[in-house]
Amino acid sequence: MARMKFLCDADRCIECNACVTACKNENEVPWGINRRRVVTINDGKPGERSVSMACMHCTDAPCAAVCPVNVFYTTADGVVLHSKDLCIGCGYCFYACPFGAPQYPKVGNFGSRGKMDKCTFCAGGPEADGSKEEFEKYGANRLAEGKLPLCAEMCSTKSLLAGDGEVIAQIYKERVSKRGYGSGAWGWQTAYRESIAT
Amino acid sequence: MAKLFTHIRLIAGALALAFLVAIATSVSAQQPSMVNPTADAVKEQQLLKELNRIQGRGTIPDVRSYVLEQPAGREWRHFHEVTLRWIGGIAVLGMLGLVVLFYLARGMVKIENGRSGRKIVRFNGFERFVHWMTAACFIILALSGLNITFGKPLLLPLMGPEAFTTWSELAKYAHNFLSFPFTIGVVLIFLMWVGGNIPNNVDAEWVKRGGGIIGNDHPPAYRFNAGQKMIYWIVVIGGGASAVTGYLLLFPFYGTGIEGMQIAQVVHAVVSVLFIAAMLGHIYIGTIGMEGAFEAMGEGTVDINWAKQHHRLWLEEEVSRSPKGARAQPAE
Amino acid sequence: MLIKRTERQTRRSSLAATIGSQTGGGLDRRSFLRKSGLVAGGLATIGALPLTSVRKAEAAGPNVAGATIRKNICTHCSVGCTVLAEVSNGVWIGQEPGWDSPINRGSHCAKGAATRELVHGDRRLRYPMKLVNGEWTRISWDTAINEIGDKLMEIRAKSGADSVYWLGSAKFTNEGSYLNRKLAAFWGTNNSDHQARICHSTTVAGVANTWGYGAMTNSYNDIRNAKTMIIMGGNPAEAHPVSLQHVLEGKELQRANMIVIDPRLTRTAAHATEFVRIRSGTDIPVIWGILWHVFKNGWEDKQFIEQRVYGMDDIRKEVEKYTPDEVERISGVPGAQLERVAKMFATEKPATIIWCMGATQHTVGTANVRAFCVALLATGNVGKSGTGANIFRGHTNVQGATDLGLDIVTLPLYYGLVEGAWRHWSRVWEVDYQWFVDRFDKSTAADGKVTTTMNTPGIPSTRWFDATLYDKKDVGQKDNIKAMFVMGHGGNTVTRMPQAQKGIEALDLLVVADPHPTTWAALAPERKNGTYLLPIATSYETDGSRTASNRALQWGEQIVKPIFESKDDNEVMYLLAKKLGFADLMFKNIKVTNNLPSPEDILREINRGGWSTGYCGQSPERLKSHMAHQADFDMLTQKATTGPNKGDYYGLPWPCWGTPAFRHPGTPLLYNTNLSIKEGGGTFRARFGLEREEKLPDGSTRKVSLLGNGYYSKDSEIKDGYPEFTLGVLKKLGWDKDLTEAELAVINKVNPTTPDAVSWSIDLSGGIQRVAIEHGCIPYGNGKARANAFGLPDAIPTHREPIYTPKPELVAKYPTLPNAKQFRMPNVGFDVQKAAVDKGIAKQFPLILSSGRLVEYEGGGEETRSNKWLAELQQDMFIEINPADAAERGINDGAWVWVTGAENNSKARMKALVTERVGKGVTWCPFHFAGWFQGVDQRGNYPKGADPIVLGESVNGLTTYGFDPVTGMQEPKATLCQVRAA
Repeated sequence: MARMKFLCDADRCIECNACVTACKNENEVPWGINRRRVVTINDGKPGERSVSMACMHCTDAPCAAVCPVNVFYTTADGVVLHSKDLCIGCGYCFYACPFGAPQYPKVGNFGSRGKMDKCTFCAGGPEADGSKEEFEKYGANRLAEGKLPLCAEMCSTKSLLAGDGEVIAQIYKERVSKRGYGSGAWGWQTAYRESIAT
Repeated sequence: MAKLFTHIRLIAGALALAFLVAIATSVSAQQPSMVNPTADAVKEQQLLKELNRIQGRGTIPDVRSYVLEQPAGREWRHFHEVTLRWIGGIAVLGMLGLVVLFYLARGMVKIENGRSGRKIVRFNGFERFVHWMTAACFIILALSGLNITFGKPLLLPLMGPEAFTTWSELAKYAHNFLSFPFTIGVVLIFLMWVGGNIPNNVDAEWVKRGGGIIGNDHPPAYRFNAGQKMIYWIVVIGGGASAVTGYLLLFPFYGTGIEGMQIAQVVHAVVSVLFIAAMLGHIYIGTIGMEGAFEAMGEGTVDINWAKQHHRLWLEEEVSRSPKGARAQPAE
Repeated sequence: MLIKRTERQTRRSSLAATIGSQTGGGLDRRSFLRKSGLVAGGLATIGALPLTSVRKAEAAGPNVAGATIRKNICTHCSVGCTVLAEVSNGVWIGQEPGWDSPINRGSHCAKGAATRELVHGDRRLRYPMKLVNGEWTRISWDTAINEIGDKLMEIRAKSGADSVYWLGSAKFTNEGSYLNRKLAAFWGTNNSDHQARICHSTTVAGVANTWGYGAMTNSYNDIRNAKTMIIMGGNPAEAHPVSLQHVLEGKELQRANMIVIDPRLTRTAAHATEFVRIRSGTDIPVIWGILWHVFKNGWEDKQFIEQRVYGMDDIRKEVEKYTPDEVERISGVPGAQLERVAKMFATEKPATIIWCMGATQHTVGTANVRAFCVALLATGNVGKSGTGANIFRGHTNVQGATDLGLDIVTLPLYYGLVEGAWRHWSRVWEVDYQWFVDRFDKSTAADGKVTTTMNTPGIPSTRWFDATLYDKKDVGQKDNIKAMFVMGHGGNTVTRMPQAQKGIEALDLLVVADPHPTTWAALAPERKNGTYLLPIATSYETDGSRTASNRALQWGEQIVKPIFESKDDNEVMYLLAKKLGFADLMFKNIKVTNNLPSPEDILREINRGGWSTGYCGQSPERLKSHMAHQADFDMLTQKATTGPNKGDYYGLPWPCWGTPAFRHPGTPLLYNTNLSIKEGGGTFRARFGLEREEKLPDGSTRKVSLLGNGYYSKDSEIKDGYPEFTLGVLKKLGWDKDLTEAELAVINKVNPTTPDAVSWSIDLSGGIQRVAIEHGCIPYGNGKARANAFGLPDAIPTHREPIYTPKPELVAKYPTLPNAKQFRMPNVGFDVQKAAVDKGIAKQFPLILSSGRLVEYEGGGEETRSNKWLAELQQDMFIEINPADAAERGINDGAWVWVTGAENNSKARMKALVTERVGKGVTWCPFHFAGWFQGVDQRGNYPKGADPIVLGESVNGLTTYGFDPVTGMQEPKATLCQVRAA
């Protein structure tokens, strides 16, 4: 069984934000919710690199561990999903998440932040695959259709890779050996407790 | 002579340094003749080593999203899932155990001379209202708070996910909203009773004699003995701390960033479980632990003999303030 | 509850089982990729797998049962990304990656990935509107067309045909562009222009004047073959993100040198192997600085120069003046760095130069571009794979709209405005030549000679408001511009907006035909009447072909019917032609159904007349077949290896010679002598005469041949240079016998009196082209490229300081060109520059102001700022300023600032972005914002509900005077400003 992961090759990322709008487009994500974002490190300096980041679907996910009401579950593909029906909007997952992935519909959020929303690896949620309810709550379920997340599929420079961890790690490894440089598989150590030897 | 040499060396060195700096600045003002952005690229591991956190720039207004990676979330998670459960478990269960042991060993502290039938006003209506408002809020806050930490292992299996979510959501609302009356209560408690709770010499004596917990000793005390003062300060400081940290969590990103909130949550949780443990003791001593104590907050009056036994100095004060014992009412 | 978890597992394992059944258990890498359509970049690039094996799985279907897939082309830049739309019940419900496109291979940038929102149209114009006493009022299409038509006729009667300005769009399809130019021709004016004026007009002029055609010589994909690339004055990471796929993969695979030369350390520069920071507007000194090292070290390609280039010695003489010290004095670039760059560029070949508006948008734009071409010629880097001038253009179809003559100096396909050109198109249109003569304004000279403006270039779009506001006698036509008919063109993309605001107020009629109201509708609140807004469908709501930067044509299908009351461009132009009374003539050979002209018929008409540029072979049938069989084309070579289009290059990049039946495969690389012409090869075009008389220092003259010297393309039967083909030339060679009778008959009909003069470009039969190509020869002749482009104002490019320069001390040595009358308008740049130096403007406004593109927005930005998915990502107009300059002014990152410009007392309020991306003394603004003007929020001026989500100050509120003498290009890249905390 494939273990789905994301890998952003920062030496290819040009901060074009295609991943961000592809996500909005595919999942009809409302204004203010950013399931995926691009952050530029050392902006404007010669060492500048941009990295596209969303939920990394961690191994032994911290969000799932700290959730007081246990809304998270990991699919057989290693995708970390959650149930909006069970979420109480407490924000604990946000404190635990190393990648700032959880999003809440309310910003000023006294009382409740609303149901947490995050990247689903385009794999929907607990509702029936491809159902209207699933789409309304979680967005598309591309995995069920045999497709990968649209952010990676549409990446302008094929920087953002999504798919079986072993495969994308292999792609990255071969890229680095071919070109002779690589700034790292950003987030892998934190999310998966593994690094890609290059 | 040697000294002079040192001086000259020093001056020459300073001059050389100044010269170097001058050159360096003039060079850096010009364009460097080699800029290779690919070779200069930042590396993830290096950044993490430097700061244990990677932050950059983004374009959306949400500046918190500019934090790319903060592995500290893992540590916080360990605290929440492991450390806090131990601290909370030991504190709460430990206190419960202590209380039970104490009760078994000591039983209820009786009014030694029996009830006199004459009562004296200990807390007026306003004081009692504030106390009970705060206490009621506290209990709900405590239970709903404990639910966040212990509900998942303890209640979820019993209730099932939907019911547990409904309960937890209600509990969360209650926790958020009741924080306001609780905080007001803590503030009022602080203002109302701060006068009687400044530690003094009598407290030293009281503490030295262990508050009379062991044996039949009853060290003298004014209106509040050292134990009560401790509770008072626990309420004021613990309540204040949990209120401040709680509000930081309730209004995320208003006062602090994500690390701030993680710290706030740690403080909130630790203070709260200790607070709960302390309150368990307070509840014990105010109810089944001591005869005649509950009336003080229940009806507002205490028996003169109870007062004599536990707050002799206060009673004397009260009596001397109104020689006729105006405030001491005969039993009806 | 989470019982779904197990269900999910079941379903997932069934997916795994299907995969397993194909591969004999397990999920091996290959089948996983195949099944999941894993992004092809990785493995395919590294060559571990053939590309076909990572194509999209057939299993992957649309989300909703019954959804159909339609293909169109992304409208937001010139890369030509395929947009794959899922349509259900007439609604565009989803976008999928177009894996099969050899251009973008599924990829998009932020705009392409959000493009579906354009057709949801939250902020679109819904119905025609008219400004009545300052209020936007709904009207019907009939009323709109009638009133507009009547007003146009009234203006024509009073002020002449030239008083109506037809401003078209790079977002038209080819068919729309062609119709728009045709409409202006039928109306009787050459005042017909579009965005190319302000983006690459200087490229077109400069490059065409060097070697024949003014377009990208190679292609985005071909950049993969380069060993050295120089990106100068371009930031494709933001402007053409998908091109970076090819650039970066090429860089990785070839371990290529990627040299970025720019005033800013752009997102592109962040991936460079060498970054050269220059002062804005010093491209020529930098290029000459590079060539100085090339010539000094003998790194030039001597054989190439000898055989294929005219006038390189003149360049050498000029380059000698640009010593490393002088170049550093002008541009700030150290000599050592330029020597390194020169060595890489000249010796690590193939090398290419990529450029964009940083090079073109200058008063010396044409000369800049010429310098780039000369550098390529000197090092022999043209006409081969991995080399060339890779010019990245800006819109979907800016190449096509340029080709189809939305331009003040030419009829469709670069035929020019001479009588021969008019006669050619009269024959194609089957309308009497005299009819056109009668349509144009006439003037009688002192000697009684009557002339028309038919052969006079029109007014550039950069000067329309000057032509509205100047005294009538200073405008070289019958009257001022009285009406602007604007189709798909922003109002904030031209410099000097304070003047534009006055210009809008002065117009008698303003028609804005666009999906959005645009800045035109909102900029001038003092205008209370006489503005019409016509809701136009986006490119996704219309059928037709588009030409990408690499000259390849792609046929886009209508994804959904025009939303609301929108109509497509072609229909509106037909309705207008009908109202103006020439629809029958204009659409003589074009089928019109329900007022909708057939795009296929329009393209066929283009084919029938498009010989000069090789737009003759791309029939709608061939283009549609290419779109339907995209997967047959190889990504690297662009050639179909199988299927019905086998042997064709993707999109039949022009020139695609002969008739469609001739089945020329298109020309993926211009001037490539390694291929026979029939297979897409070429030579430099013999466009500048056969020989030139040169003056020698002793006063005598000599004649120098301009034809190729001992070189020729593969399979050429003439083993040397040769002139362009005419019937006469064919006869001399004895090849005329190869013409069919039918072809000869057509040739004789074209010019019954002297058929020998009929050339390859006006022969409507295509016979001359066919015969020349059958003999291995290119119809346009085999000539030399020109290093010395005699005839241009700066035949040898030379440095000229920007009008507003931060280094006034250099103006004496490098002044701008003298005042002159160009394109019916006076260009007083010299006076303006002199006044600026005399007044010490550089002291009051010490910061260079430059502008450029953000990835989220496009052009004037009305469309993209109305797209909620994009608008969220850039919510504020900003100015980049160096930390040192910011500190001097007490400005913090993110704080509001006032920026003041050097003319019109202009000012603009925006946020400061403090960054080292710009050097000290340099500021930079994105140019996509509008809706705030000189500090005033103009949101209320838009029709309700059609205001873009994000508004901001336009940088062009601050930009200043300055025009390229060859094309009228504006100067938005190098002016001056001052910044202070707000």
